[in-house]
Amino acid sequence: MTRFVALVPPVPALLPGYAGLGDPLPDLRKAVLEAVTWLAERSPARLVMLGDGPDPANVARGVSVSLARRIADSLLGEAGFTGELVETLDEGDAGLLILANGSARRGERAPGHLDDRAFAYDALIEHALADGDRQTLRGLDSELGSDLMASGIGAIKQLATSAGDVVDSTALYAGDPFGVRYWVVTWECVS
Amino acid sequence: MTLKLGRGEFADDATLMMAIVNRTPDSFYDKGATWAEDKAFDRVDQVVDEGAQIVDIGGIKAAPGAEIDATEERRRVVGFVARLRSAYPELVISVDTWRAEVGRAVCAEGADVLNDAWGGFDPALAEVAAEYDAALVCTHTGGVTPRTRPHRVEYADVVADAIVSTVGQAERAVSLGVDPRSVLIDPAHDFGKNTWHSLELTKRLGEMIATGWPVLVSLSNKDFVGETLDLPVGERLTGTLAATAVAALHGARVYRVHEVAQTREVVDMVWSIAGRRRPAHAVRGLA
Repeated sequence: MTRFVALVPPVPALLPGYAGLGDPLPDLRKAVLEAVTWLAERSPARLVMLGDGPDPANVARGVSVSLARRIADSLLGEAGFTGELVETLDEGDAGLLILANGSARRGERAPGHLDDRAFAYDALIEHALADGDRQTLRGLDSELGSDLMASGIGAIKQLATSAGDVVDSTALYAGDPFGVRYWVVTWECVS
Repeated sequence: MTLKLGRGEFADDATLMMAIVNRTPDSFYDKGATWAEDKAFDRVDQVVDEGAQIVDIGGIKAAPGAEIDATEERRRVVGFVARLRSAYPELVISVDTWRAEVGRAVCAEGADVLNDAWGGFDPALAEVAAEYDAALVCTHTGGVTPRTRPHRVEYADVVADAIVSTVGQAERAVSLGVDPRSVLIDPAHDFGKNTWHSLELTKRLGEMIATGWPVLVSLSNKDFVGETLDLPVGERLTGTLAATAVAALHGARVYRVHEVAQTREVVDMVWSIAGRRRPAHAVRGLA
């Protein structure tokens, strides 16, 4: 079977409720919408989203729906998706939306300040996403990812385990305008 | 409500800066700085650069002084309005006058707003606004004669009086044919009022907003600020901006000011606090 995958970062600034008068992330927003629209067109009835669950600290503050879920709902709504969005991957699922990003510790003004390990970690993921290198992604160090304030590393690993062989990979965006590494990537996989 | 100020139309969430441009040798704040026409023109250039959507041209200072008849008032403002109209086809031009004959002359040259700062003293001014499809600012003065200082003026309830007076003028203007989108009401701080009255109006401005008529405030460097803070003219900006912030929180739409840039910052900030304007951009904690 063929599976379609879009990986986008769960950036709260993409939510309409946080929009300012000017868009701080116009290029990212364009790429994300392109990827999500592409995915929704290929699996219009049902999509699976994988990403980090709700942050326990936010749950303690009264926000129990994960950021990944809210971003997915918002982006898919913008893309015109009206199908079912589930959070558990079944064997027959053809469309996967991965909410993930690299380190948030890529500079002194980054949310998590600077951690020099961020660059190698992010580069490893970025190249593996571009190359469809599932083996590297399966072996990602989740603990280091957590230290580096990356998001959705578990989701990337689950994707790498279950997606099938990557026959096409398209990188629509890579950048770290606010000290967090963002990627927008689409995959076509066969198994 | 959408505002239609002559050739300018503004959405119902827009706040507007009305910059004061005096064509007088003796106004209290600038003391004749723009008495020379070229200086006044330079002032317009500056305030437009600073983001003013409206300029308010005045030919007579508000305080008592040498009598300025209609002929002299026209001489001071009509040609200047014509020059501005030609130089700034889009700018909203307001003229601060109580006289219908002056209003007619400036509207014929393209003025968009008649700022009736003396509260309908000349009832024919509203008819001129209707005739030229101009906007009208309806102000509260407590019925005093133009260019008089308040002396022992008292109100049972100054806010109620301001509402009855300005809404009455607004409704009359509409009945005479002024577009309802082209009427503003102004409590007119200091006019026919002591400092206590102006403070009360500022505190309770929400009651004027609640009438539904868009509210203009003219707070800039006025005596109620000076008396409250014991500061002379020239040192009242902070107090003016504090009063401006309160007016903005209540929802005033138009701010008649000397200092455009500072007022714009305060109003934008307060408008955002009130949830009526989004931040310019927001990524803190959201990356």
